[in-house]
Amino acid sequence: MKTAADGTISVSVTVNGTNRSADVSPRTLLSDFLRDYLGLMGTNVGCEHGYCGACNVIVDGQTARSCLILTPSVEGSEITTVEGLASNGDLSPLQQAFQQAHGLQCGFCTPGFLMTATGLLESTRGALSDGEIRSAISGNICRCTGYVHIVDAIRSASEARSE
Amino acid sequence: MTTTQPRLVGARVARVEDPRFLKGEARYIANIVLAGMRHARFVRSPLAHARILSIDTSAVPEGVAVFTGDEWAEFGIECTSRYEGFQPAAMPILAVGKVRYVGEPVVMVIADDPYLAEDAAEAVMVDYDPLPALTTIDEALAGDAPLIHEHWETNLYVPRTYSSPDYDEQTKDMLSVSGRLSHSRHSGVPMEGRAVLAEFTAGRFKVHTATQIPHLVRTAVATAMGLAEREVQIVSPDVGGGFGVKAQAYPEEVACALAAKALRVPVKWIEDRREHFMASHHSREHTHQASLHFTEEGKIKGLAAELYVDMGAYSVFPWTATMDTGMAMGILPGPYRFTGYKVDGFPTCTNKTPYGAYRGVSRPAACFTIERLVDWMARDRGLDRLEARRMNLVRQEDYPWTNPGGLVYDGGSLDESIDVMKEWIGYDGLVESLRNDRKQGKLRGLGMAIFTEQSAHTTEEFKKRGVPIVFGYETATLRLDPTGHLTIAASIHSHGQGLETTLAQFAGETLGMPMDRVKVVFGDTDQVSYGAGTFASRSAVLAGGAARLAATELREKLTRIAAYLLEAAEADLVFSEDGIEVVGSPGSGISMAELCRITYQRPDLLPEGELPTLESTKTYDAAPGTGTYTNALHMGVVEIDEGTGGIDLQNYWVVEDCGVMINPLVVEGQIHGGVAQGIGTALLEEMIYDENGQLLTTTYMDYLLPTAEDVPFIGTRHLETPSPFTEGGIKGMGEGGAIAPAAVIAGAVEEALSDLGQVYVSRVPLTPEQVLNHIAEARSLQ
Repeated sequence: MKTAADGTISVSVTVNGTNRSADVSPRTLLSDFLRDYLGLMGTNVGCEHGYCGACNVIVDGQTARSCLILTPSVEGSEITTVEGLASNGDLSPLQQAFQQAHGLQCGFCTPGFLMTATGLLESTRGALSDGEIRSAISGNICRCTGYVHIVDAIRSASEARSE
Repeated sequence: MTTTQPRLVGARVARVEDPRFLKGEARYIANIVLAGMRHARFVRSPLAHARILSIDTSAVPEGVAVFTGDEWAEFGIECTSRYEGFQPAAMPILAVGKVRYVGEPVVMVIADDPYLAEDAAEAVMVDYDPLPALTTIDEALAGDAPLIHEHWETNLYVPRTYSSPDYDEQTKDMLSVSGRLSHSRHSGVPMEGRAVLAEFTAGRFKVHTATQIPHLVRTAVATAMGLAEREVQIVSPDVGGGFGVKAQAYPEEVACALAAKALRVPVKWIEDRREHFMASHHSREHTHQASLHFTEEGKIKGLAAELYVDMGAYSVFPWTATMDTGMAMGILPGPYRFTGYKVDGFPTCTNKTPYGAYRGVSRPAACFTIERLVDWMARDRGLDRLEARRMNLVRQEDYPWTNPGGLVYDGGSLDESIDVMKEWIGYDGLVESLRNDRKQGKLRGLGMAIFTEQSAHTTEEFKKRGVPIVFGYETATLRLDPTGHLTIAASIHSHGQGLETTLAQFAGETLGMPMDRVKVVFGDTDQVSYGAGTFASRSAVLAGGAARLAATELREKLTRIAAYLLEAAEADLVFSEDGIEVVGSPGSGISMAELCRITYQRPDLLPEGELPTLESTKTYDAAPGTGTYTNALHMGVVEIDEGTGGIDLQNYWVVEDCGVMINPLVVEGQIHGGVAQGIGTALLEEMIYDENGQLLTTTYMDYLLPTAEDVPFIGTRHLETPSPFTEGGIKGMGEGGAIAPAAVIAGAVEEALSDLGQVYVSRVPLTPEQVLNHIAEARSLQ
């Protein structure tokens, strides 16, 4: 990581499996880096104070609030965003479960929920109970769905992987 | 002529719009990048009421553009009313001379990136001379209160009053219960805040804005700037939730347009969450002083109410400041069959953020008032709460029923919904088991609310409300292309409601079109006809009705052409998924693609006089104009923690009848989402001001939204009573979920505490502090 004369810092990360580098101002939030420097607009910014979870991404295997992270601090990290879930344009099983269960309405919180659920599914095995799911997504706010169909979607994805 | 394909209406079709949201490819305004785009930031008033003495921008870095109110003083957004005596005041684009609420935009700065714009905004120094802040209705209406708008006579927008001719006669010598019932100030708080990206190119404004009402915003922006409407294009692409907050025109939309023209670059403004709490319009703050009059048997005879609504500092466009009192005056009598009614409305001006729409507009407060009063009547008369309701409901033989507020209820299944609910949840056993739990010291209780959801109200309703623009109708254009694909261009918007799917189902079915050949477009004033937009649970009914009429016209034309080409009688033709066939002769037909190709590209083969186009535009305004009425019964069970005052909402059930359902999956999603917002109303959400008019709740740490651990599983059951008035018998239902939860949960809390003492729960949200107060009060009654 190098600091240039103009105060910018060179940052290099792996995003959705691809190495990406840019010179950023030290105060650049990871959410803005993903969106404005890398053009990955799928990560939505809902509150900028780490509460709503809309901007959740996965950093080195951990679900994280990208609006609370200064970009230089993730130098060398592996990051997964919502754009990394589908393969060749086909929805992943989790994304399909969200569509089938009507687990999204306006869609703004959806990438954050998908990343939280991805982290949950990667760190657990077997079919999940509603209580486990509700606890895991309690750091993500959805204003449209009342959560019922989101819980259905994640439960169904957890059941499908254990069959 | 018939259709052979499976019905689309009523099917649980997964939404066609979902993949772009799931893949992170949605087109929210924040995601749109234009060449040369610069970024705006607003300096907002830190005071509720003050004169602006000076604005010092000398510390703003070079290269940052700065605009102040004096430059744009001529361009306000005004929303007056047709009611006599209404006191108007235009909302300035940037404050001129004076600020009237915390968060009011005062200065606009524009820089090359959003971080630099924030730095520049902090460098602006505004000197204020504070004035007394009026933060409550009582303060604003006091005789010696200073005037928020100097040219007014009082701080009241316009008082309204109505009394049924038989009120005195009906209520004479009756028993009564009374209360002062109130909702906190709160709002829709969509996950995406407001967002604007304005350009001025080729002599026209193109304003991208996250709105529910593109054409009405076009009218507001053009009117504010003195332009012809064709000089303004409004584009509202994917919108991350609205709930009414985005159903008003805002000064920032005009400011970005003016700045884009002045600077000759696109200007983008993305609202942050703190700005959203301060400056996006608030809602819900009602106080009702109300009395219910009834016989010894518990038969309701009359209702009297004074409705106070804190409308904040300006009347909002297009609703005016009388929206909430007007709506509540109509719907307050609820689903009950009485005639004596007396009501006064007091929409009051205060030094708070202006007050606009939020899912349910007035109906949560109105439902809370009538349902609490009915609970109290049942307690007074020793009646079961559900049976006390049943004996007073509008009966099947009463429809269409004109309620004492003048609304015409089109039909429903109120009584049946009670039967369904009782059987579904085992009502009698549940009541008994909760009683036993309470005997053992558990604070558990059941609450309930039954209501009619006024939806898709059109011309007559808005005429009555005195609004300057009467929005009744919506318009849809259906266009078949030469390959047999259908586009539905509708004057509504969709920001979560699933209308890209449901309009395709509703209109596509008429043409036998499979979903993958139908595309719904909206949200661009250059692409769709003039219309009001999406609010008031109206879009499926009105845009759907218009689309269905247009589809019917296209169907008739396709039938004529096919009959001519196939040399068959029209009566012998059927629409299938592939096109049109002759009954009883499989393979004899013509595909939709071929039929459309011939129509456009071989006009020489068409019957004489048939024009070579497949396009129809229809406008639809559902009779009789005061709305369709979905009905629902909600029930819920709470358990209270006696030590902390915490409420555990353990069950929630909804029996709803929204007429014919286009897509039950979408209907259920709307119910769940509405109920969750209603739970926020009941338990959590409140914009708190201090005595100086300072807003204290400006983050999600202070203003609490329901999470997945606050909202329980929500059970739903459907009844389907078709509306006799609408196309296809459908009714609006987008808001209903949010209407009842406050009444349900208040009733449940009251019952949960009933063994301690009989309290009256008359205010929400029921925060732990409020609940502890109720517990202490209950104990003091022993």
